[in-house]
Amino acid sequence: MTVSEVASSTELLDRYAAARDLWPGGTLEFWQGGQAPRPDRVYWPETPEEVARVLQRASEEGVPVVPYGLGSGVCGGARGRAGSWAVDTKRLNRIGPIDASTWTVEAEAGVNGQQLEDALQARGFTLGHSPSSISCSSVGGWAAARSAGQFSSKYGVFEDMILGMTVAMPTGELVRLGTHGDGDPSLLPLLLGSEGTIGVITSCTMRIWKTPEARWLRGYRFSSVEDALDAMRRLMQSELWPSVVRLYDPVDTRIGGKTRPKSDKSRKNARWYRRWLSGVAQLDPVRRRSLVLPLALPGLVNRLFDGLASGCLLIIGWEGRPAVVDALSAAGRAILEERGEDLGAAPGARWYNSRHAVSYKLMPIFERGGFADTMEIAARWSDLPRVYEAVRQAVRPHAVVLAHMSHVYPEGGSIYFSFAGRGSREVYEALWSAAQEAVLSMGGTVTHHHGVGALKARWASAEVGAAVEGWHELKSRYDPNGVMNPGRLFVPVPPRDAGPDPRLHEIDGLVRVEVEASVEDREADCAALGFEQMFPWESLPAPSRWTRSHWQVGWTEVSGRVGAQHCRLGRGPRSASGPDLRGWLAQQGAAHCTVPVVPAGEHWMGSGRCEDPWGVARELLRSDLRPALLEVRDGRLWIGFRGPAARVLGGVASRWVPGGLAEESWAAPVLPSGELESCELTDPECVSVTAQGGFRRVR
Amino acid sequence: MSAHKSGWDTCALCPRLCRSSCPVATGSAREAATPSVIAAVMLDVERELLPDSVGRDAITLCTDCGACQEHCHLHIPLPELLRQTRLERVPRPALEPLHPIEGIGDWIAVESDERPFAQILGTALGTDVRRWHTSDHLGVESMAYSGFESRLERIRAKVGSGRVVVISGGVAKVLQRAEVGFQWLSEVVRDLPQGEGSCGSGGDRPLACCGGAGPLREFHRADALRTGALWLERSTEWVVQDARCRAHLGECGGAVIDPLDALMERVSARDSG
Repeated sequence: MTVSEVASSTELLDRYAAARDLWPGGTLEFWQGGQAPRPDRVYWPETPEEVARVLQRASEEGVPVVPYGLGSGVCGGARGRAGSWAVDTKRLNRIGPIDASTWTVEAEAGVNGQQLEDALQARGFTLGHSPSSISCSSVGGWAAARSAGQFSSKYGVFEDMILGMTVAMPTGELVRLGTHGDGDPSLLPLLLGSEGTIGVITSCTMRIWKTPEARWLRGYRFSSVEDALDAMRRLMQSELWPSVVRLYDPVDTRIGGKTRPKSDKSRKNARWYRRWLSGVAQLDPVRRRSLVLPLALPGLVNRLFDGLASGCLLIIGWEGRPAVVDALSAAGRAILEERGEDLGAAPGARWYNSRHAVSYKLMPIFERGGFADTMEIAARWSDLPRVYEAVRQAVRPHAVVLAHMSHVYPEGGSIYFSFAGRGSREVYEALWSAAQEAVLSMGGTVTHHHGVGALKARWASAEVGAAVEGWHELKSRYDPNGVMNPGRLFVPVPPRDAGPDPRLHEIDGLVRVEVEASVEDREADCAALGFEQMFPWESLPAPSRWTRSHWQVGWTEVSGRVGAQHCRLGRGPRSASGPDLRGWLAQQGAAHCTVPVVPAGEHWMGSGRCEDPWGVARELLRSDLRPALLEVRDGRLWIGFRGPAARVLGGVASRWVPGGLAEESWAAPVLPSGELESCELTDPECVSVTAQGGFRRVR
Repeated sequence: MSAHKSGWDTCALCPRLCRSSCPVATGSAREAATPSVIAAVMLDVERELLPDSVGRDAITLCTDCGACQEHCHLHIPLPELLRQTRLERVPRPALEPLHPIEGIGDWIAVESDERPFAQILGTALGTDVRRWHTSDHLGVESMAYSGFESRLERIRAKVGSGRVVVISGGVAKVLQRAEVGFQWLSEVVRDLPQGEGSCGSGGDRPLACCGGAGPLREFHRADALRTGALWLERSTEWVVQDARCRAHLGECGGAVIDPLDALMERVSARDSG
C-alpha cells in the first residue's frame, strides 16, 4: 500500500468543502464573504492502515495534516489550513459487531452518530450518547473532542463509554489501547481529547445499554437559579443518578416560554407572530438586517430580558428498569419539591421531542445580520454561581446572553452559555476573550464538551499551564515533525501560575488529599470532615477506565508543580481542555488531588449466597442499579447502597438476587486499584465487575 | 463583500444536518456532495467567490432524490432549487419528444437505458410486452423543462389502459406526476435474487434502497423488501434505481443491486439451460 493508492482529490470543490467546519466564527466569516483556508489535497482513507500511511508520508514531507470527520466541531478544530492535507474519515464507516453478550459495540471513526444509534436501537440497545449534533457528528469527533450528550448524568460523557481505541500515528504505527490491544494504557486518556494533534482515532469500542423500559421526565419551576442548583447538587450527591438534568436560567426560560403550558391563546398569538415575522422576512432589506439594531444594543436588550424574566425551569428525568426508576424518582421528588413547583410531564415531553432541533434555530440569526455562538464551561458547585454571574457580566456589553446547565456530577457541573451579537468580527472576538478570561479568573475550566480547537487554544493553554509539557512529550514521541493539526489545542502563551489550591466548600462534595496517600489515610481525612469517600480506591489513580464502571471516578482535580510553576488540572468536572494530563502531572511528584465524597448518612447493605455470584452482580449493574459496594467475599455476594433511596434499592436488589439478600451492618468498601485484566466471571481471582464483564489483578 | 439575497442562504448556513440523508454524500463520503455544502458553493458562485465550473460540478452531484428536503426540519425545497439551477447553468439539448410505444400487448416496459427491458420482461412473463424507450424525455430531468406540465396529459393518453412496469426511480416520479399507475419490476417478477456487497461501507451486508422521497418512498421500501435488501433510511448502502445514482455511487466502487440485471441473468441462464 502506497499513499498514491489512497483515494484523494485536489479538485477545488473538494478542497473548498473541507475548508470549513461549524465554528460560528467561520460561519460569520463565510457569510460576510470571507474564505477559509483550503487544504491542498483531501484524502479519504478506507482503513486504519491507509490513515497511518497518509500520516507517515505527511510527516516525512513536513505537510500539515488536518483530520476531518463530519465537520461538526464548533471551535475550528477541523478548519482548513493552507498547504495542508485534510484526512477525511468518512469512509471509515463500519459498525462492528454489536456484542449482545458483552454489551459492547465497535465503530469506526467516521460513523455518523445517529446511524450508530439507529443500528443499536434495532438490536434493542442504546449507546446513551445523545449530543444535539448527533445527526451531523461522528464517533471519531466525539472521542477527539471529549463530547458529552444530553443523558450524561446516567450514561456518562463519551470518554466514559470508551473501552478501547485504535489510533493511527504519524510514525506509521497503529496504537491499540484498552480492549483493542496491548498499547500503553496510560495513553488512552492522553489521546482522548487530543483533537488530532497527536494522531487520528480510527475506531472505538464502547459500552452499550439496553434501551430503557421506563422513562420518567418532568419539569420543575424554581424561583431562582441558586435554589435549582442546590436541588441539582443534592440529587447528584445523594447518588440518585438521573438521566437528564437541565436547568434553564430565567432568561432562557422566559424566551422559550418553557414553564407555561401552551394555551390556545398563546398558540394563536404565536401563529400571528410567525406570520408577521414571515411577512417581514420577505422584505429583503429588512430581512437582511432586522437583528442588527437590537443586537447593537446588547446591554439594553439584556436589561429588558432581566426585567421580563422570573423563575427558571428544570427538566429532570430518570430512565431504565421500572423498579429502579420508581425508587430513584421517588427519592428525587422529595428533594425537588422542597423548593420546586412540579409542572408535570409536559415540559419534559416538549424538551424530549425537540432535543435535537436547536441547530435549526441558529441560521436566521446569521441571515439577519447577527451571529450566534455557544460556550460550555464547568466548575465545582461552590464556583458555579460565581462563574455564571462573571460570564454574564463579561458578555453583556457585547451580546445578548442566556444559559442552561445540562451536565451535572456529584462534584459540580457545566454551564452552557448561548450568545447572540451584532455580526462583527471585533464584537465576536472581544466577547470570547472576555468570557473565557472570566471563567479562568473564577476558577472554572474553559471547556466541558466542545473541545478547544483554534478558538479556545489561548485559554486552554493558560489553564493547563506548564503541564502542557506532558502533551509536548507525547508530540515528540509520536509527531516529531509537528505536522498534526498545528495551531489547535495548545499554543504558546505567557506562563500563568495556577496559584495556591483554592479552599473547598462543604457543598463541593470534595476533599483534597495527597495523591500517594493510602486509602486508610484518605478515609481518615474524609472522616475528620464528616464525609466518606464515594469511590474508595485502594490507591490512586483509579484503574483504567475500561476496568471500572463509568460513574466510578478517581481523582477530580490534580495539582502539582512543573518546574517552578504550580499547575492545577480538572478545574471543573470532565474538563475538555485537551487531553487528560492529570496522570502525567501526578507523576511529577508531591501532587495533591481532590476526591468525591458524600456525607455519612443513610446506608443499606445485604449479602446472599447464590450460584455464579459475579454473574448475578453483573446482571444487577445491567439492571441499572449502581451500588456503592458490589463484591463477592467468602462465596457470598455483598451489595450496599447509600443515600435516601438506599433501603428501597436494597429491596429491589434482594428481589433480583436468587435466594434474596440478608440485611447486614454497613461496612465501608474498598475498591481494587492497580492494573486489572479481563477474566471470566467464574474465575476464582475475579475482584470486580462492570456491566461488560469481570476483572482480576494482573498477575 | 457583504452577504446578499439568495435562495441558498439558509441551507448554506445550516450545520449540514441533511448530510446523512443524502445517498451521494453518504455513499461517496465526499463532503462536497452534502446538500448544504452544495448550497454554500452556489452562494459563493453567485457572489463570484468561486468559478462557475465549481458550481456546475457541485450541482451535478445531486441525484434529485429529494431525501434532503424530506429530512430537513424546515422542509426547504433545495432539490427544486438545484433542479432549476441545473436547467439554467448546465448546457443541455432541447427536451426530446415523447417516443412512441412499440409493439403489442397489455404490458408496457419503460426502458430507461440500453438494456432490452421489454424483451426480457416478455420472456420472463411469457407474453407480449410493449417497449417504451426513453432517454431524458420521460426521466426526472424532464421535470426541469418548462414544457413538462403540458406533456403530462399526453403521457396519460399514450399509456391508456396499459400496465406499466418501470426500473427507474426518475421515470416513476414522472409517471406519478402524470397520475399514471405503474409497478416496479420486482413487483411483477417476484423472488429476484438478493444482491451482495456494499457501497462505500466495504462490509458484506445486503444493499438497501436509498428511499427516494415523498410518496415514492413506499415504492422504494417495497422494492427493497422484495429484493431482500435492508431498508435503512439513513444508510451507506443503496440499491441503485436511477442511472445517475449508478454513476455517482459507482465512484465508491460498491456493488449495486439492479433488479433488471438479476432478471437478465435468470432469463439467460434459463435459455442456456
